[in-house]
Amino acid sequence: MWDFFISIFVNVLIWIYDVVGHNFGLAIILFTILIRIVTWPLNAQQMKGAAAMQSLQSDKDWQAIQKKYAKDKEKLAQEQMRIYREKGINPFSSCLPTLIQFPIIIALYQSIIRALASTPLDLLKLSRSISLPNVSDLIPLHSKFLWMDLGRPEGIPLPFDISFLPYGFPILAIIVAITTYIQAKLTMPTSATPGDQSAAMSGMMSIYMPLLLGYFAITFASGLSVYFITSNVLGIVQYAMQGKANWHNLIPKFLQRQ
Amino acid sequence: MKKKLIIVTIILLGAVLLSACAGGAVRGMSWPGLATDGALVYLADGPFVYAVSLGDGREIWRYPGARDNKLVFYSPPTVTPDGLIIVGSAGTDHSLVALSPNDINPDTNAPFEEWKFTGAEDHWVAAPLVVGDKLFAVNSDGNLYILDLQDGRSSKEATVVELGGRLWSQPTTDGERVYVTSLDHSVIAVDVNTYKVVWNEDIGGAVPGSAVPTEDGSLYVGSLASQLEKFDPATGEHQPVVDAANWVWSTPSLDGDTLYFGDVDGNLYSFNTSTGNQNWKAIKPDNSETASITASPLVQDQHILVATESGSVFAVDHDGKVVWNETIGGKIYTSPIAAGELTIVAPLETEFYLAALDSNGRQVWTFTPEN
Repeated sequence: MWDFFISIFVNVLIWIYDVVGHNFGLAIILFTILIRIVTWPLNAQQMKGAAAMQSLQSDKDWQAIQKKYAKDKEKLAQEQMRIYREKGINPFSSCLPTLIQFPIIIALYQSIIRALASTPLDLLKLSRSISLPNVSDLIPLHSKFLWMDLGRPEGIPLPFDISFLPYGFPILAIIVAITTYIQAKLTMPTSATPGDQSAAMSGMMSIYMPLLLGYFAITFASGLSVYFITSNVLGIVQYAMQGKANWHNLIPKFLQRQ
Repeated sequence: MKKKLIIVTIILLGAVLLSACAGGAVRGMSWPGLATDGALVYLADGPFVYAVSLGDGREIWRYPGARDNKLVFYSPPTVTPDGLIIVGSAGTDHSLVALSPNDINPDTNAPFEEWKFTGAEDHWVAAPLVVGDKLFAVNSDGNLYILDLQDGRSSKEATVVELGGRLWSQPTTDGERVYVTSLDHSVIAVDVNTYKVVWNEDIGGAVPGSAVPTEDGSLYVGSLASQLEKFDPATGEHQPVVDAANWVWSTPSLDGDTLYFGDVDGNLYSFNTSTGNQNWKAIKPDNSETASITASPLVQDQHILVATESGSVFAVDHDGKVVWNETIGGKIYTSPIAAGELTIVAPLETEFYLAALDSNGRQVWTFTPEN
């Protein structure tokens, strides 16, 4: 089943690669846009869910049950579920895109590795994944894009010793971390109540996610980084187009106070 | 709190899964490389190169002595006339190393490195070729590296000929030119003395196997364009002589004036270079679903041995009839080699790494590393 899923990704990637004139970097960017379009309703649902959860924090009923059942967690949970039902809120709706995102990342990573086929076994597996005609004309795919080899981690050599970074200075990983941070900050709700758990969690995610994806970008094939950056930029554009982007969050707190 | 836990769990799970995808110096990244010097079998398989006794399948040594995550081996080792074992790494250090099998470090039980070449930029898939006192080694970075075997250096330097594409198959020579095949669909002839490119021809499909020079002065190449091409080695003029059913992966094997080769659909072809015709209609010795032939057929006195992806070895007579077959297990992509009376097979996805067969296909021993 999973292999079938990978095969679909591989075929779409190679088809785009063929259409755009044998540029695998461009194929990944267009493929990411395609994924973004397909998952657009889910992302919209996430934003809607996050906004609903945020508005709940200032709801009087919600605040009342927090106080009333502060010492009875089980009853509190039951009451929270009642309010969710009454207001038509799915508490997990904002998690769904994250859930969807990870299988896509893993599938895309495996698809890139399979499509670029850096070993004989990979190339043989690729031959089984492809359903497109005349594919032997296209194979092997050109893995170079700008300064990168998309099948390998990215890095540029510097004139001084950076041997602790085996692939050189990781520019792409830094861009991945920055764009992930910006996206997380733009979508982070402004906390209305002190000790707001949702806002605290968003704040935590805006730190951890850039670090995690930055680590992935240093460690894994740079084609994955192209996906991360494209996806982040599209996410920012999507939030901005819907008027949901919270640009105020990008300003450091000490400047906000002045 | 639950939501926080779920997200953190998802992230950690994703990280673990992605890390698993990246792999390291592990077995099974590709099929192993195999060679012999008549006394030992050399198996390049994942983190180690193993030297195994032909007599009883016992491990004699392994290189490196301890696992090194920068080293991954699956290119077939090359045995030089003076007994050195040369093997390239597909790991991150891209080193090509010459091992001295008679000079073992007693502390590690690994052979000492006679010399090392670290000038390549990508991984080594192909075995290098020895021509006189020169070594012709091709790398996935698209370069042909020519090393002097007699310069006494422990850290080698190379003459570099930029050819392009990924070079995955061992160069071959007819004494005048060295022939290199590339995944970028080209077949290239390089002058063996001047190192100048004599010709460079596109054949419309990637070439993962080597070019085969024949005694009548021709050159044959199979490709992923599903054809066997005949070349004029002097000019590079070429024409297809066999249309295969699917990709021709393996290097054709020459037996007198007959070339045997397989395709990834599992068909075995027999082509007569004198008449320009196929000796018989292609046969499919293995009727299983995974019958791909990526290994070169092994020509023996009575039979041609064909290993298939289903993990079986078939003995086919010169008329194209299957005489016997033996199920080894796992998947076989590596070309079997002949070593004395034995045939050595290196399957993937089996507990054992090597199996030795006698002339009737019976297993004589298997080799499984102790750890």
